[in-house]
Amino acid sequence: MFVISMTDWEAVLGQLSATYSLFAPLEFNGSQDYELVDKENTGNIIYNHPKPVTPVKTFFLPVKENVTIDSDIQKRTIIMGVPSCDLAALDILDEMYLQRDFTDIYYKNRRENFILIGYDCRSIVENCHCTSYGLNPYPEKNCDLMLARDNNTVILQSLSARGADLLKEMGKYAEITNASDDEARQINDKRSEIIRLLKDKNKNLPGYELSGKLIKDSPDKIWKSYASTCVSCGACAAICPTCTCFLLIDRPDFEKIRQLDACQYPGFEKVAAGEDPLGDLTVRFKNRYQCKYVWKPLKFRSIACTGCGRCIDTCIGKISKNELLEELASEKMS
Amino acid sequence: MKDTNIYKPLRAELVEVIEESPTIKSFVLVPEREFSFATGQFVELTLNGTGEAPFTPSSSPLVKDRIEITIMKAGYVTEKIHNLKPGEIMGIRGPYGRGYPLDRLYGKEILIVGGGCGFAPLRSLLYNLEAEKDKVRKVTFCYGSKNPAECIYKPYIENLKTIEKFEVFRTVDVADETWAGEVGVATVLLDKVEVNIDDSVAVVCGPPIMMKFGVMKLLEMGYTDRQIYLSMEKNMSCGLGKCGHCMMGEYFVCKDGPVFSYDEIKGQPDIWK
Repeated sequence: MFVISMTDWEAVLGQLSATYSLFAPLEFNGSQDYELVDKENTGNIIYNHPKPVTPVKTFFLPVKENVTIDSDIQKRTIIMGVPSCDLAALDILDEMYLQRDFTDIYYKNRRENFILIGYDCRSIVENCHCTSYGLNPYPEKNCDLMLARDNNTVILQSLSARGADLLKEMGKYAEITNASDDEARQINDKRSEIIRLLKDKNKNLPGYELSGKLIKDSPDKIWKSYASTCVSCGACAAICPTCTCFLLIDRPDFEKIRQLDACQYPGFEKVAAGEDPLGDLTVRFKNRYQCKYVWKPLKFRSIACTGCGRCIDTCIGKISKNELLEELASEKMS
Repeated sequence: MKDTNIYKPLRAELVEVIEESPTIKSFVLVPEREFSFATGQFVELTLNGTGEAPFTPSSSPLVKDRIEITIMKAGYVTEKIHNLKPGEIMGIRGPYGRGYPLDRLYGKEILIVGGGCGFAPLRSLLYNLEAEKDKVRKVTFCYGSKNPAECIYKPYIENLKTIEKFEVFRTVDVADETWAGEVGVATVLLDKVEVNIDDSVAVVCGPPIMMKFGVMKLLEMGYTDRQIYLSMEKNMSCGLGKCGHCMMGEYFVCKDGPVFSYDEIKGQPDIWK
């Protein structure tokens, strides 16, 4: 682990934002989301507090993209401030878009070129539950550098060869020293503290595999009840770091647009002859849960929910996935 | 090696339009380069600037320089395709998915049950079986159409009847003055066929309701779940096992199917919808 003083770090950011497209979570309206960093706004960067409103997925799979013209990435890109839940979610995106016999070259190009700086989560927000699904609230995979900020310093750890190169580059603009044992211990202490908070908060939430079993055996009435306030807006899927469904839209000259889609929209599976397996709201609502906890585990190695809790944060019907799963678990026990 | 772009269609010229019935036409396309598919696999056909839809070719998989696609007028894209004239350039992506399990059909008595436009993929299969007649013991084809006018591939049916080892039974849901044959849905024909079930495999393709009752009837006759193969039609949009529109429980129909044994899919939700 390495340490940079906050003053030096500001200089590093200034330099990096000049040579890269540098994105980081900036504050807006009491919330935060990834924005382009420039010399003027480095002071508004939010450090180590979860989590950007949109998942990092949207950098790799833009909402709308022409997938028949040449893919070009003009400038090298760094995305800073990615929480562990979003980094872990890249596993299933990689499986979906890089494997399974067909590679999406647009996704691949970005995965190969974008540099990711992950944050240690130093606090938790209401619906965070990564630890319930076997993850830790700090970067462990799909990440080039780990970053944790203390009052006057920034601690960095390289997690890939690309991360090591970037650290070296940073060394040109700032004094980088080795972290002391004390500083390293502090990092670990804070990690343990956050894990404890998360585990305590989610002590009644069933784990990933158990959730799958509970959903498989669940009675219809619980789905009917929870779906009763669903308005099929699809926000849960749009904002989900692991939801990958899309629609291909045709344009003249045989061009095609890949646009993110959601099984929660009416007509998602409808065929021309009229059959619509997801025509019923309750069936459609349950589909997303079955997809994540029952079906994806049968076909994919990676988990299909990383516990970011955004689907709960964003639901205008006030539907809580975790409440639903906790209810299923408590009914099973009683 | 440069990765290919999985979304870019191959260009294909429409060279002939065949009117099969008042609602069904066949479109003969010549792709810009040789195009191979296995029987039962499907393609994504692009109508430039309008849309793309999945179809299983109805032509022989042994023919590589042209491909025939039979399309029922059913929705926005198919209606526009029906208005096309020869000379039009279309797009083809594919072939995709898992087709008919020929190795499990050879050496068996093959019972094929088709309804309406479901004949299209089955004709490709029949072409293939015809070409490999030595490996086939017996093929019984039962076909039902709504009425005599909606029966597609009439000349082909007549020809098929003359081929050794092939037997054809036909029915219509609603008869008219031109029809003296069987009346009723395709499954009524199953009472007439003579087949050694223990040594047989059944293939069903047609509208969902017909497949549902077809499977029920076959099970009643003594076929096991594993002896029945179905071509599932879902909203296959990308064909690549990614976009999610054709998910049927744990399966991506476009990748894991579209041909499944009944045994594989019977536990999945809403298979007949």
